[in-house]
Amino acid sequence: METAAPRSIRLSALLTWWPAWLLLALTAAAILAPWIAPLDPDRQNLLARLKAPGFEARGATYWLGSDELGRDILSRLIYGARVSLSVAVLSVLLSGLVGVAVGMAAGYLRGWTETILMRLVDIFLSIPAILLAIITVAVLGPGFVNVILVLALTRWPRYARVAYGQTLAIADRPFVTLARAMGASPLRVLALHILPNIIGPLLVVATLEFGLMVLFEAGLSFLGLGVQPPTASWGSMLSTGRNYVGSAWWIATFPGIALFLLVLSANLIGDRLVDRIGKGR
Amino acid sequence: MTLLSVQDLAVQAGALSLVDGVSLDVAPGEVVALVGESGSGKSLTALSIMGLLAEGLTVTGGRVDYDGTDLTALPEDRLRALRGADLAMIFQEPVSSLNPLVPVGRQVAESLVVHDRASEAEAAEAAIEMLRRVGIPEPARRATQLPTELSGGMCQRVMIAAALISRPRLLIADEPTTALDVTIQAQILTLMADLAADAGTAVLLITHDMGVVAELAGRVCVMYGGRVVEQGPVDPLFAAPRHPYTRMLLRTIPRLDEPTKGELFAIRGNVPSPKNWPEGCRFRTRCDRASDACTARPALIKGDHRVACFHPVEDPE
Repeated sequence: METAAPRSIRLSALLTWWPAWLLLALTAAAILAPWIAPLDPDRQNLLARLKAPGFEARGATYWLGSDELGRDILSRLIYGARVSLSVAVLSVLLSGLVGVAVGMAAGYLRGWTETILMRLVDIFLSIPAILLAIITVAVLGPGFVNVILVLALTRWPRYARVAYGQTLAIADRPFVTLARAMGASPLRVLALHILPNIIGPLLVVATLEFGLMVLFEAGLSFLGLGVQPPTASWGSMLSTGRNYVGSAWWIATFPGIALFLLVLSANLIGDRLVDRIGKGR
Repeated sequence: MTLLSVQDLAVQAGALSLVDGVSLDVAPGEVVALVGESGSGKSLTALSIMGLLAEGLTVTGGRVDYDGTDLTALPEDRLRALRGADLAMIFQEPVSSLNPLVPVGRQVAESLVVHDRASEAEAAEAAIEMLRRVGIPEPARRATQLPTELSGGMCQRVMIAAALISRPRLLIADEPTTALDVTIQAQILTLMADLAADAGTAVLLITHDMGVVAELAGRVCVMYGGRVVEQGPVDPLFAAPRHPYTRMLLRTIPRLDEPTKGELFAIRGNVPSPKNWPEGCRFRTRCDRASDACTARPALIKGDHRVACFHPVEDPE
């Protein structure tokens, strides 16, 4: 009885953070893809087309079935996680970097810098993000790097808004004036004194944006504007699976479930952070 | 020889005048007190000297000569080179004036690091030594703690250590003990004055505590309504205040040796807000000596003990 209490606390802590574990597991799967994927994700087997989950052929088991070219869905899912996660991480980093820099500069320097930068943010926020992304990819051409650039281009204003508001609030605090009275340069004040004090709300935004980036990437790939075939991507798997929903439900269903779980866990982590850190977004 | 000479300083928020023609001098190593009620423009004068006025406030006139250079005309990067090294400042709220996320040792070392006076390791060492000198027990351990782990008095000691570590030539202390317990105020002030004297640092002490002024300052500058109304060496000024405002201000202090019967003395009325400052002498609406002459602006009469009044008190009772 006496040992039961701490164990149940530990267990409940594990359970409350299940989204984090799921995200971690997906990341591990993505990194270790070449070793854990049962089959080559791009290897076609036209004799094993559209086979249901559990199908066995020539000693290989298609645990989640095969697609219209006889490729293993499970292996493609695992490799697809690489695309989803790396696009999401890199676009969050890039848009976060740009947005935070712009927002902090506007909030700290004030005056004309503030007016110009924040009006630019307003302009970007007034353009529908996915539409801008589609147009830009259509112009730049699809591909891994372009998808990241496009997502960063459309999403940085979110971070700029939050960083701006938070910087305004912190810049008035006496310790910032004291740092300036010590002769600290604007860059030092921003990096050492303001950034650490506003990083919490920014992390919340980044986590929620992460889920959105996964969806955007899938959306672009679904439309054929993302990562190009034969590279596996959850969005493009959904897209091709759509044609076979009646006859081979597994092609679209499993990437759908994977997307759902990834975005859900990112958002739940974001919500937990909001609770912990308070006022974000 | 003066270290700092403020002449006719004017500060405005848009068209609203907040500081209007303030002049004061500080000699090397001297302690000058800047006294006045809240809203008299003391803090704004201090921030103007440092070039740290908040957004929306601007110096619209006068000059701040430091060592022969006009600070108000100095470009930001050269001013920054002086801040922390030559000019240091201490604020009112010790706890919120320290970064809540940075260990206090690093905050004490800040000015050394910023001005490349020492390597990180040397600065950390110097910070611990400085913390010891401001009377913080176990300085090496305290240096690693965050401001939230320290008391208000400790935080004020930390701020004093941070301000004086670079041995600045001028320290501006903006009501350094207002937020502290009465029991430790004197202790902190004495500490600050002693350390400043050791380093040869001149102090411009902003306060509304007359007891502090009498004890620490050599000269006093009394402000009212954004202007200097009286200025002079502390002893004659306290013994024979000439401006009616100074006289009333001193009478508001209850004295132990002269038991007052009944109510404590208070200056009638309130400090008018800058929007409602009267024409001419700004104290005339609350003054019992005011006449029609007071609608013109009184000049600060030259001399060692200066007063800006048309009807100065000639013979103190």
